[in-house]
Amino acid sequence: MNIISVGVNHKTAPIEIRERVSFSEVQAKEFLTNLIDDGIAQEAMVLSTCNRTELYVVPGMSEVDGRYLKEYLIAYREAQGEVRPEHFFNRFYCNTARHLFEVASAIDSLILGEGQILGQVKDGYRIAVEVQSAGILLTRLCHTAFSVAKKVKTKTKIMEGAVSVSYAAVELAQKIFSNLSMKKILLVGAGETGELAAKHMFQKNARNIVITNRTLAKAEALAEELGTNQVLPFESYKEHLHEFDIIITAVSTKDYVLTEPELQQSMQKRRLKPVIILDLGLPRNVDPEIGKLKNMFLKDIDALKHIIDKNLEMRRAELPKVQKIIDEELVGFGQWINTLKVRPTIVDLQSKFLEIKEKELERFRYKVNDEELKRMERLTDRILKKILHHPIKMLKAPVDTADTIPSRVNLVRNIFDLEEQNQRTK
Amino acid sequence: MDNAILNNTLLIILTYAVSLLYIISLGLYGADFFKGNAVAKTYKQPALIVTIVTHVAYIGFLTAPEGYRISYSSSMLMSMVALTLAVIYMFIEFSTKTDKTGFFILSFSAGAEILSSILLLTSSGNGPAFSGLGIGIHLLAAIFSFSAIAIAGLYSFLYLLLFRQIKNNKFGFLFENLPNLEVLEQLIKHAVAFGFLFLSITLSAGVIGSIQTSEVVNLFETRLIALVVIWLFYGASLFIKKLFGWDTIHMAYLLIGFFVLVTILIMLMGIFSPTFHSISF
Repeated sequence: MNIISVGVNHKTAPIEIRERVSFSEVQAKEFLTNLIDDGIAQEAMVLSTCNRTELYVVPGMSEVDGRYLKEYLIAYREAQGEVRPEHFFNRFYCNTARHLFEVASAIDSLILGEGQILGQVKDGYRIAVEVQSAGILLTRLCHTAFSVAKKVKTKTKIMEGAVSVSYAAVELAQKIFSNLSMKKILLVGAGETGELAAKHMFQKNARNIVITNRTLAKAEALAEELGTNQVLPFESYKEHLHEFDIIITAVSTKDYVLTEPELQQSMQKRRLKPVIILDLGLPRNVDPEIGKLKNMFLKDIDALKHIIDKNLEMRRAELPKVQKIIDEELVGFGQWINTLKVRPTIVDLQSKFLEIKEKELERFRYKVNDEELKRMERLTDRILKKILHHPIKMLKAPVDTADTIPSRVNLVRNIFDLEEQNQRTK
Repeated sequence: MDNAILNNTLLIILTYAVSLLYIISLGLYGADFFKGNAVAKTYKQPALIVTIVTHVAYIGFLTAPEGYRISYSSSMLMSMVALTLAVIYMFIEFSTKTDKTGFFILSFSAGAEILSSILLLTSSGNGPAFSGLGIGIHLLAAIFSFSAIAIAGLYSFLYLLLFRQIKNNKFGFLFENLPNLEVLEQLIKHAVAFGFLFLSITLSAGVIGSIQTSEVVNLFETRLIALVVIWLFYGASLFIKKLFGWDTIHMAYLLIGFFVLVTILIMLMGIFSPTFHSISF
């Protein structure tokens, strides 16, 4: 039983190729149904995110291989000419499992250790379950991948530290102030960057967030979304600067929105209590001279990128630990796959002995009463269980190479003369 | 004079054991701080508690022949400084739930205890014990005061270090591992409050002790002037921020200055006034 994965991702193809073969949830369901109905796959799953579209298939026909699936997918998305098989990666068996484990653990992501991918893998599996294209193999593979991702998250630091500018801003603020819920925050600019920073602050229990924006309605909308409902008119917010412990600026402007004399005045009013200004604008929104004021921490995007670089470096240092976890889980998964190969022999073995039991008991059916017959049945069950215990254990035992399995299977089949039984099963 | 301790096997074992326990605790706090070791994180606090309990027992055995009164010897005082540093740190760790500065404090404790052990095992004995309850409290409170002053100085140093790192965009190891500036400020406040409390007790108990022993209190004596000056400054530093609008940076410099000053004063008194409380350095 093989398992194949093919797909395009940020490592193999540019965005214009990736978007040509991406799937919405509805499209993925339809595609999976087709794969199963056409007999191409016994089991199938699609993982489609902004950075990857990957197909995991247990083939239903002998001619189904990586090349076949790539061409099928390209044809299905009507992307011939634009998307070529060379844009795809292609993996088999244990390498497919390794790839999915790496994807779920976020070490194959564009941003190392990003937190969304596990949810997306879970979504892919859910869709496969809903269209009944996830069988025993994919179910086991996905659940092992979830378990790997959980272990990686708890036992390594691969997901620790901010790797986005807005989150780095929050991390920095937390290195100055211990409790953001007690701090008053001013957000200047309700654009996408400002919104993201405000939401990260909110996630870290900051509740006293005041928003100001040139377009007041936009500020009000964001304040309502955050549930703070605190806005200041853009024309007058500078009168209140001294009230704020954290000021985040993210506006599109050529001139500085905050100047040194304004902040000097504000610092005097707040008796030099520390202030952090996070300038997320490009070009910069805040006069760099402000950074020289006492107890003033002014950080622009470049400064925050230092934090991001340091965190990414720390995450990269965790990669060996992640690979070790994946290797361990791969061994377990490989052994489970091997038990699938010996399962027909185990079933045959049990069936043969049950048949013998039934035949022998049948001879006594009218010679003993019901109670005695039941006792004999229990006795034979116990004997059979003990006789079969060792051969089954031997079949299921871990192997060094997959080549060992056929020799074990043949040995058991020859000893117990299962050939006929096997052929009958076939 | 023969060193009686060298004839007592239990005391010799305890002398080595206490130093070893400090090294183990320091190692665990260090492994947690520098390597983020999970085992060290789990066992560092229990190890510190065991160290403190063993140290108290050790002091008990050491002072038992003198009716549990500590002596004026430098080895005993060093050992008491190690113990009080550890006790104050543990109290701060429990009360502030901040366990990321233990390595720095305990390195002082471990150093003091190791030095104390060396002095004890190489000196001629443990020296004479104090007499009178007042002077005993005075001495203990003075040791606690010095420890609190040392801790306040150390936290102030860590505050300045982190402050500079953030200002200069150096987001390295210390940025990653030290508590945030606000927490460090709280730790400084706790240490200063402790210091002021024990300095007050030192001063009061010293005066009461002198009265009890009918000693004439010379108001112009350097040790008394030094103690009063430090006590006044330390008390003032509790309110200086509110009264004069000083920021924590200035406070940190002041507290580091206090620590250096007090250490120098103690050393100077040891050199120029060797008869002071009969301490021999």
